[in-house]
Amino acid sequence: MFLFANATIYIGLAIAIYTLLIITLGISTKNQKLVNSGKGGMIALFVCAALAMLSLFYLLATSQFQYEYVHDYTSSELPIIYKLTALWAGNAGSLLLWTFFLTLYMIMIAFSRKMRGNPMVPYISAILMANAVFFFFILGFVAKPFILLDTVPIEGKGLNPMLQNPGMIIHPVTLYLGYVGLAIPFAFAMAALLLKNVDDFWIKMTRRWTIIAWLFLSLGNIFGGQWAYVELGWGGYWAWDPVENASFMPWLTATAFLHSVMIQERKNMLKIWNISLIIVSYALTLFGTFLVRSGVLTSVHAFANSNLGLYFLIFMGVAVILALYVLMSRYNLLKRSAGEFNSFVSKESSFLVNNLLLVGAAFAVFWGTIFPLVSEAIRGTKVTVGLPFFNKVEAPILLSMMFVMAVCPLLAWQKSTVKNLKKNFMIPAILAVAGMVLMVLLGIQKAWAVIGYGVIILLLITHFLEFYRGVKARRKMTKETPIVALYRLMIRNRRRYGGYIVHLGIAFITMGIIGSQNYDLETMKTVSLGQSIELKDYRLNYERLDQKREGINDIVYADITVFRNGKKLGTYQPEKVFYGNWDQPSSEVAIISSLKEDLYIVLSAWEDDGKATFVVKINPMMNWLWFGSFMIVIGALFAVWNGKYGNVTPRYTGVRKEVS
Amino acid sequence: MKNKIYLGLLLIALIFHGSFIRVEAKQFDYKSPEFKAVAQQFACTCGCGQDHYECDPNTCNLTTEFKKDLVEMMNKGWDKDKIRKYYVNIYGEEILTSPEKSGFSLTAWVLPFVVLGAAGIAVFIIIRKWVKKKGTEEEVNEYENTENEVEEEILSSMIDEERKKYL
Repeated sequence: MFLFANATIYIGLAIAIYTLLIITLGISTKNQKLVNSGKGGMIALFVCAALAMLSLFYLLATSQFQYEYVHDYTSSELPIIYKLTALWAGNAGSLLLWTFFLTLYMIMIAFSRKMRGNPMVPYISAILMANAVFFFFILGFVAKPFILLDTVPIEGKGLNPMLQNPGMIIHPVTLYLGYVGLAIPFAFAMAALLLKNVDDFWIKMTRRWTIIAWLFLSLGNIFGGQWAYVELGWGGYWAWDPVENASFMPWLTATAFLHSVMIQERKNMLKIWNISLIIVSYALTLFGTFLVRSGVLTSVHAFANSNLGLYFLIFMGVAVILALYVLMSRYNLLKRSAGEFNSFVSKESSFLVNNLLLVGAAFAVFWGTIFPLVSEAIRGTKVTVGLPFFNKVEAPILLSMMFVMAVCPLLAWQKSTVKNLKKNFMIPAILAVAGMVLMVLLGIQKAWAVIGYGVIILLLITHFLEFYRGVKARRKMTKETPIVALYRLMIRNRRRYGGYIVHLGIAFITMGIIGSQNYDLETMKTVSLGQSIELKDYRLNYERLDQKREGINDIVYADITVFRNGKKLGTYQPEKVFYGNWDQPSSEVAIISSLKEDLYIVLSAWEDDGKATFVVKINPMMNWLWFGSFMIVIGALFAVWNGKYGNVTPRYTGVRKEVS
Repeated sequence: MKNKIYLGLLLIALIFHGSFIRVEAKQFDYKSPEFKAVAQQFACTCGCGQDHYECDPNTCNLTTEFKKDLVEMMNKGWDKDKIRKYYVNIYGEEILTSPEKSGFSLTAWVLPFVVLGAAGIAVFIIIRKWVKKKGTEEEVNEYENTENEVEEEILSSMIDEERKKYL
């Protein structure tokens, strides 16, 4: 097994190098045979990566502790699902997962029906293959997944309890799918440049890929937030930790990219900008990995410190420099854009403002994340840039972003006249202001909340109007029933209406964020048995403290009966779990969830006489956040779904070369 | 005898009084908004990456002491700025969860907005250039608005559909 497992890595590396060379040679000598050989190599590489994954899964599942990785991250009593997910608990395994996804995406592109015979394929393959060479090199020489220990330990160290949560199954996988996915539009963009194809073929071809990568990145972040919320006993979901920032930055730039490509498609403008955005998004995924793996910044996500980060930094540097070189060398071609704007007030302009704000937000996150390093380099003082900083700096930028999002749908392409604006915005604006006044009267008086919710009201109305007008226009022509009209309207322009659904999802998430950030309540009290804690409308009766044993873990739990306005809601059990093979205990919180708010109960400490300390939190509107996330998924899937309509493969009009 | 009773009562009162104070001190709500405003400013250095408001006193000894000190200062009537100054004087800026808004650290706060502003101006200039380029040509049709756009789109999709049916 040892030989086999290691062989998959080293043979994989050899194949990756061979494939990269043979494809490059094939391109330069215009020899289709060589390129075909390279394509064969890609399949072989995928098989290698898949076998490596299977080997590690097998070793983990069968608890073969003679392997360092299995010993470090699992123990024999661990449930099988966490034994398997331990594959991405450490450096080597998670990079193996990354590599596997990369090879998977690679063959999906190279052998896709739509790309058959396309001269871009060898270029894209070569670019992705260069990535694969790097990853196989790392797996082969830096973070090796299959190392044998000198002795065979009888038991493993176990998996960090924090990682024993359903979040572990899905959060890393989705995040990596998103990270790796961003390499695809990057490779397409580079291939287009190398071939001197400056039309928007690559954008249309990768649209779906970009949305899928974006969706996975969003999901990765959301699942991470949800995991933190239920597992860490802290009651929050986003801490602006360097690693969270590292995945948020490419999300912001990819979002900007998804919007700005529409201008290139419509007006043949912003070519350089779009390519720059995709280079930045791709580079940021590597930068994120550098942050997580290098230990240069303190983070809850940090992997065991290693020099791995340095390799990523070097690889990122090389990739960015090469990409910029290619971009510069094609600058003259790209510059010749014929486009022009008709007016300041138009959809085009609003897309530019959208890009400005998204990239500005990404820059602010980037600056805040690296500021400790900057400060240390310049002044010798390592400052912490934490939650208060990011909340203060990002809130106005992202709220402006929401405003642009609210206004944009009602702006016309080309030009919006004053008459037009008045007609479109009068009613939504009046309603939004009325809503804000009503909120103030009802007691919602915090500035951020009032402005934020006001903007969201505007957004909901403008988006509703978009659907309403579409249905009305359709019915005028077809006399269909409203439901049929709505359905047909939406499936005939999946991207637009999918996008609107995503907007609505973001609006719901924002409502959840504003509510939970501005109106949360918290208390920490020590009470004796039989006593109660009161917070807002809730009364929590502390009934019992007991202990139980599950496997090798000891669990201390409290029975708490919760009443709301005198009405009994039920008995809940917040727990503290002491792991048999881990020093730190962890909290299993009790969450009572409703549309209005979550009651969040943490058992914090206890004494011998039965007194116990509880942290009780009210987090308003948390479910709105999860509901909005769900809508994002629906919207994104709706947009990329292979429907009957508008599903035309873009025609390749670029340079023809002999190889494909 | 009466005096003794009085003395006894006084003593009991004193004891209870003391215990009330103690209970009060012990029952200080570490999750109250007042405490949050103060404690959130300071980063816990135990390696948890949290601030002293979030850091769990049950798993981190450091924060237990720190929290006590904070409460003492609050009881003395110090406000959060005074407490911040006190700690910055001892430990330097490193103890804070966000950089100071003065000196070099001010750049952390200001730069994002300066960059955003500069980029905003650049975008404005670019759009103006593009609009000017167009300016000399014919005026855009007045009727071009969103409603017509939607209608056009629907119409073209229907034509497309019909075309697919017959071709």
